[in-house]
Amino acid sequence: MIKVHDLNAYYDDFHVLKNVSLNVGKGEVVVMLGPNGHGKSTVLKSICGLVEKVTGNIIYDGENITGLGSEKLVNKGITYIAENRELFPEMTVLENLKLGAYSQSARPHERENLEKVFTLFPRLADRQKQLASTMSGGEARMLAIARGLMSNADFLAIDEPSLGLQPNLRDEVARIIKEINTQGITVLVVEQNIPQITELADKIYVLEEGMISFQGSKEEALGNDHLKEIFLGM
Amino acid sequence: MFIEIIDVIISGLINGSVYALMAVGLTLIYGVSKAFNFAYGSFYSLGGYIAFLLFSIPFFNNYFVVLCLAAPVLLIFGFFIEKLLVAPLRKRDDWEVKVMMITLGLALFLDNSYQVVFGARMKSLPSMLEGNFEMGEFILSYQDVMIFIFSIGGILLFRWFLNNTRTGMSVRAVAQNPAGAQIVGIPKDFVFAATFAISTVMVGMGGILLAQKYFITPAGGWDILVKAWVITAFGGMGSIKGGLYAAFIVGMLEAFVGWYFGMTWTLIALFAVLLTTLAVRPQGLMGKWG
Repeated sequence: MIKVHDLNAYYDDFHVLKNVSLNVGKGEVVVMLGPNGHGKSTVLKSICGLVEKVTGNIIYDGENITGLGSEKLVNKGITYIAENRELFPEMTVLENLKLGAYSQSARPHERENLEKVFTLFPRLADRQKQLASTMSGGEARMLAIARGLMSNADFLAIDEPSLGLQPNLRDEVARIIKEINTQGITVLVVEQNIPQITELADKIYVLEEGMISFQGSKEEALGNDHLKEIFLGM
Repeated sequence: MFIEIIDVIISGLINGSVYALMAVGLTLIYGVSKAFNFAYGSFYSLGGYIAFLLFSIPFFNNYFVVLCLAAPVLLIFGFFIEKLLVAPLRKRDDWEVKVMMITLGLALFLDNSYQVVFGARMKSLPSMLEGNFEMGEFILSYQDVMIFIFSIGGILLFRWFLNNTRTGMSVRAVAQNPAGAQIVGIPKDFVFAATFAISTVMVGMGGILLAQKYFITPAGGWDILVKAWVITAFGGMGSIKGGLYAAFIVGMLEAFVGWYFGMTWTLIALFAVLLTTLAVRPQGLMGKWG
């Protein structure tokens, strides 16, 4: 579904990603691991059109989408869910969700997606009128994921969903990602604090110093001593 | 004495309402794109001149037609000015300063064009509604009532637009979190241009409303630019609610100072209040730090 070939990304003159290649098949959950600050988020953002300076090739369903801006990509069904959530603080939950369905392709599905999202996150349904800025960390995280789902995406890039989350909510996040995937959405997720998510993985990539240092199945990953180091954060 | 004070309050309310309409526009541009539009006052005059032109055409010379035609003209004008002059600068370093320079240039160009086309003499517009409401010594002109109704109507319409339309919501989204707006796929460039266009309509409408009372002159917009700027800074940069309160405070202050000390003191009083406020609360009445 998404094929990334020799991707290089830069922030000003800083070379963040070096010849990154990866492959996400339709309906898969692909997990990306690696130390903090080594460019995992940048991979997701580059695919979703949120990094200005990228070279290489990003192919989505056979179409070269390298260099397209997020407004075009969201419309094609590629959506990024940010680690720091990036909600609209002075808007209600409902308004945040409606803006999630901003793109042309999502508009006709706004109502059904709203229902889906409320079934998935009943707590958000109870708090439709609440301002995003007054929500707890966990609720805001759920809202960020829900807003991403409103875009009617086929491909979701989810960036560290466990960030700022209480440990007891991690199971919940894993359950939701599984549910999203069951509904047919392809997921590329950066997450290493939730073992349950790693268990969902069809494929695992490890990114170190802007380069892919490992790719393989989760069984292969577990058999790799170097990776255990990263899993354990040592 | 009592009647006089009532008159002063009414005059403050009416001017305050038009200031509110215009200052909210300036606050909006600042809140959304962090750009400062120096030509804002010239857009005020543009509204007046467009209305003046329309009134000179037979069959067009009533306010209903004039407002219905002037609004889209101002909207399109504002949209293209943003696309042509402001948008290309946005990708450069120090673009905020460059936007100030280019809009300052635009203001001088427009003001001189008005002088060439319409001459330096003052122009006036007919009253929206002739006649007065009288009750004993108390007199209220229908024109003032109409100005008030149209300004408040304009602000309410604007509020409705922000809260209930997709474009309005995307404007708020960009103001609150540009990164979030980009993530959900809102085209930022379009929002910037739309915001600029809407603010042009708001100040242009203010120009049409006030032209019945204060005339249109080629350089008349500078006074408005200063006031709108004072109100924006006073209310808190980018805070629409703050701008609304500030506009009415400024309107009242102007009316009372003008009545008690004379009109020459009003600007001095405005800046005194602004400086005192900013000394105590640098973020303005409702602004946020950072």
